[in-house]
Amino acid sequence: MTLQAIGVVAAGLIGLGVYGTLSQQSIVMLMMGLELIINGVLLATVGFWSLTTGGLPEGQLLAIVAMAVMAVEMAIGFALVVAVFRRREVDMTDRLGSMKH
Amino acid sequence: MSWADGVFWLLAAVALLTGWRVFRTDSMVRASFLLLASFIAVGAMMLMLGAAYLGFATIFMMAVEMMVMALFMVMFMMNPAGLNPMVMVHQHGLAIVAGLVTFAGLSAFALSLDLPDRPLPGGAEVIAPLGRELLGPSMLVFESAGVTLLATMLCVVILSSRSGRFGPSDLGSVPPAVDPAIEEDP
Amino acid sequence: MMGPLTALPLTLCVLFAGMILVGVLDALAWRLLGRVPIDDDDRLTLGGLRAVIRRQSISTERPDLAAWRLAPALYFGLAAAGLALVPVAVAVGRAPVDVEAGIVVWGAVEALTVIAVFLHGWSSNALLPLMGAYRFVAIGLSIMLVSMFVLIGAALPAGSLRLTAIVESQRELWNLVRQPLGLPLFLLLGLAITLRGPLDYADAPDLAGGTSAEDNAQLRLAWQLARAAMLVAFAAMAATVFLGGPLGPVLPGPVWLALKAGLVAAVLVVLGHLLARPDASRMMTFIWVVLLPLSFLDLAIAGLEALR
Repeated sequence: MTLQAIGVVAAGLIGLGVYGTLSQQSIVMLMMGLELIINGVLLATVGFWSLTTGGLPEGQLLAIVAMAVMAVEMAIGFALVVAVFRRREVDMTDRLGSMKH
Repeated sequence: MSWADGVFWLLAAVALLTGWRVFRTDSMVRASFLLLASFIAVGAMMLMLGAAYLGFATIFMMAVEMMVMALFMVMFMMNPAGLNPMVMVHQHGLAIVAGLVTFAGLSAFALSLDLPDRPLPGGAEVIAPLGRELLGPSMLVFESAGVTLLATMLCVVILSSRSGRFGPSDLGSVPPAVDPAIEEDP
Repeated sequence: MMGPLTALPLTLCVLFAGMILVGVLDALAWRLLGRVPIDDDDRLTLGGLRAVIRRQSISTERPDLAAWRLAPALYFGLAAAGLALVPVAVAVGRAPVDVEAGIVVWGAVEALTVIAVFLHGWSSNALLPLMGAYRFVAIGLSIMLVSMFVLIGAALPAGSLRLTAIVESQRELWNLVRQPLGLPLFLLLGLAITLRGPLDYADAPDLAGGTSAEDNAQLRLAWQLARAAMLVAFAAMAATVFLGGPLGPVLPGPVWLALKAGLVAAVLVVLGHLLARPDASRMMTFIWVVLLPLSFLDLAIAGLEALR
């Protein structure tokens, strides 16, 4: 359980997340990709905190900020899906030609 | 290799495999719960790293989040139960290459890191210091996160609520004209 | 923390004993109160058990079999995990699983329980179970929010998330007295996660059994057993957090804990039989407009008390 191993696993999660974000057509699936990216970031943050800072509390704080980012991303994402669907009955990125209301 | 390493790699394999299957399964509900499994594995790894609060908080928070996600998936998908095989991807090749490049680049970065080796002291308190940090020196950061979340809640309600100020949002919700004659004019 | 070889059998034995007690309580409540007619399946006898196991197995069209079979196991496993957190005596390390963030782990158990119930309803690929699952998720997540604030309030006087510390903090005064709103609100969560009475939006008779509507006999048996197990875990947790757990004069700690948990279980069973279930949307409004502010008030009371 070295820092390098954790870094590689986190990189794998982030890579999977990038793949999902770029490849998925459905907005909700795309958000899953974003979640995976933040998942990797969380793991890396906690890894750095645990193995290189000797338990500095600010490291955990950074992980909490990442969690808050994740919550914001989810909530705003779902609200956007609902708003777009109400307006245009669309839940796929490809069918969103413009960002105008 | 110690047993801790074995458990770590097992959890890492679970996290990565389930994370990959998220985009390969036909069922939307399965996709969100596979993602949850990935998060639970990461939460367990955090626990192994000594983050006694963050690990469980991740599991707890993600359980709620993925439950909501599953609901939205079923609501918006034409194929919620996974009865038909489906592929809903675009720019697939590009996405695969981008994912691999990201992985390779970040791994190379992680492997080349030369950071001080200062592990968490065994048996150290981690939860109480975190709480003191949150409500002490880093209160501004913590409160900013709190205010951001509050703003998010407001945003979400404004974006998603059906009833606009001037009628249902999906019917336009436009303010009425001042002069009724203008409205009748095409 | 006990070793796994002690913790696991201990937890399971207590869980099974508790499940028998829940069965007895349910039968008694049914006989004495008799307000809510329950299915024959809900009253388990040994003869009935054999018949259930032998009954022909049925299925629906294209279910998610893995999730369908695993949902009761997940539900039961979560109950066991929750029960394992409960300290059996007052001293650090006297819970089968004694972790620093014990109360957060219980929160995770609550959240995952909602998922188990949703999976149970969704996986049979049928209308009524799905409706039950959807209703339950809406109500379950909302009431879980209420319980989180209540639990944070209970952790405040202890100054720790560890359950043994929360027990220790109640040596002079139980949280029931200190935070009078806490236990009633927490009991509502108990009704929801054990699928009982007024908060049983998953398996209610108005949906012909809801998430269990398409279960075959064996699965239904497993599901009912898991429900009873969750009631045991919840009762033990409520007794720990609000009634001082193993604290008490003369009798040894585990006996006190069992008595208090039994009392909580009895109250829940009686409430489940006596209270009517409102419409789901009304309950939703009630939770967000009345119960959630009440939980904030509870937290404020706990905070002021802790500052004093």
